[in-house]
Amino acid sequence: MTNAWRAGLQRGRIELRHLLRSPKEMSGHLTNVVVALVIAAYVTGHVPGTHVPMAHLLLAGFAAYLLFQIGLVNLPQILVTEREEGTLLRLRATPGGIPAYLVAKTLLVVAVAVGTLALLLAVAALLADGPLPHGPGGWLTLLWVTTLGLLAVVPLGAAIGAVLPNPREALALIMLPTMGLLFTSGTVFPITSLPVPVQQVASVFPLKWMAQGLRSALLPDTARTAEAAGSWELPMVALVLSAWAVLGFLLAVPLLRRAARRESGSRLSARHRRAAQSGALPG
Amino acid sequence: MTPGHTPAEPVAQAQPVGPARPVVGTQPVVRARDVTMTYGDLEVLHGVDLDIHRGEIFALLGPNGAGKTTTVEILEGFRRRSAGEVSVLGADPERGDDAWRGRIGLVLQSWRDHRRWRVAELLTHFAAYYPDPRDPAELLALVGLTEQAGRQVERLSGGQRRRLDVALGIVGRPELLFLDEPTTGFDPEARHEFHVLVERLAREEGVTVLLTTHDLMEAERLADRIAMLVGGRIRACGTPTELARQAAARAEVRWTADDGTPRRERAADPSRLVWELHRDANGPIAGLEVRRPTLEDTYLHMLHRETDGTDGTHGTDGTDGTDGTDGTARAA
Repeated sequence: MTNAWRAGLQRGRIELRHLLRSPKEMSGHLTNVVVALVIAAYVTGHVPGTHVPMAHLLLAGFAAYLLFQIGLVNLPQILVTEREEGTLLRLRATPGGIPAYLVAKTLLVVAVAVGTLALLLAVAALLADGPLPHGPGGWLTLLWVTTLGLLAVVPLGAAIGAVLPNPREALALIMLPTMGLLFTSGTVFPITSLPVPVQQVASVFPLKWMAQGLRSALLPDTARTAEAAGSWELPMVALVLSAWAVLGFLLAVPLLRRAARRESGSRLSARHRRAAQSGALPG
Repeated sequence: MTPGHTPAEPVAQAQPVGPARPVVGTQPVVRARDVTMTYGDLEVLHGVDLDIHRGEIFALLGPNGAGKTTTVEILEGFRRRSAGEVSVLGADPERGDDAWRGRIGLVLQSWRDHRRWRVAELLTHFAAYYPDPRDPAELLALVGLTEQAGRQVERLSGGQRRRLDVALGIVGRPELLFLDEPTTGFDPEARHEFHVLVERLAREEGVTVLLTTHDLMEAERLADRIAMLVGGRIRACGTPTELARQAAARAEVRWTADDGTPRRERAADPSRLVWELHRDANGPIAGLEVRRPTLEDTYLHMLHRETDGTDGTHGTDGTDGTDGTDGTARAA
């Protein structure tokens, strides 16, 4: 197991370096940050009934969405792509390869999530008087909501990545519900402006609670009057995110195991043949 | 991770140069008995038996759909067999642990992974998983990729990529190496170099190699023994010469007759035919050539016999049963 840990950490570091050197992927992550900042810069007015700028609510919401997207869009895409290319099979054929793969991916996802979140908040604070946590309590909330938020979406994303068919279809299948949740979870405008049934549906999913938790960390306490319940409902945030984390782990472990077990040379060839026929993969 | 694991060199030194002979009394590296595989109602393997010995290069041949891939994936531990006994390096592949995995090397056809990695970086990383890996720099020299060490994997040519796959397959000093269509897309020179490398691994280091290929020349060039898998059964197994005998493939004798016309004849015993020709001619024979059956002749012969044989059986059944009834019906 020590070999697998060492190899996994080494692998995570190398993948992170590749990511940092890949203009395409870096621009993907940076675009999210830039879009959030640009929209925040154009939004005027205050959260209804408070003195909190609307831009702050929006930035807190985007921060939650960044975590959500890394876990449920980027991670499944990476898993599906690497399954299709044979990375998963090669690691399966290597002693300790699958544990090392999981260690590396965890490292990568956490680094990207923390990196983009820090970048968003830092740039917003420096350039536009953006929101930052108030006092140690606020920082603590930021820390646990981020951690629990990642725990809620990363295993779930891994489970999704284990079952999705191929990278091309995967993106289409994930993006639609993700965008839907972005606009119904109160991330980009106050959730109270949405019809109650929509609010109820959105409150089943983790994004609403991640956004609400981050607002409680980043916005002044007075802003809670704009929340649906009139309070931050932090116990509920913890409960819902924990429930998703448990569900995610329960799904991810057997599904990843199944995905790894199903990999073999002939399945890989068959997928490449199909991909080549559809003209999506060179050679 | 594997305290009991030792590099294979000591065994290699004990190996005679030339085709490895099974060492009597030692457990074969791969042993399969009566392995069957069923997908739903479809039986793909009907009782496959195999013995592959240490240091042997063993080729598995057969037409597409004969069950080659299924057989190899069962041995690799990637597929669960329906029935039968399998032992690979002393363990059941279905229960192979990490230590077992570490003793097996795999070179598959379809890998396109780790495109962004650099060649040396990837090889060094995979060395980290094994208890006693080869030196990555030496390995790159061995497969002729030293110049490409700093290149990104996606920028390698097809042949270079395959050689990198081979390097990754042997970085952990495997005792058993699976090669799946290893030289597809190689130019003749790369193919030759690859063959020399595989022979070196088997002869000098005692690595056991299981090769699946469609390239009959390659099988004939490399393999100590060849098994032909047709219709889910091993139909023949042995050295190329033994196979030719089993298939009753005949050597071809060519000569020029007195009237100048080229003649050819197939003979089970070409020596006798040539002797008879000499005796008849009472002197030298113009344009005499004896061609021993190639593996391709043997293979095609065996395949045709297989198909004809099956048809023949059906024909016999038909004559005794259905046709007879039909005949009676027509007569009546």
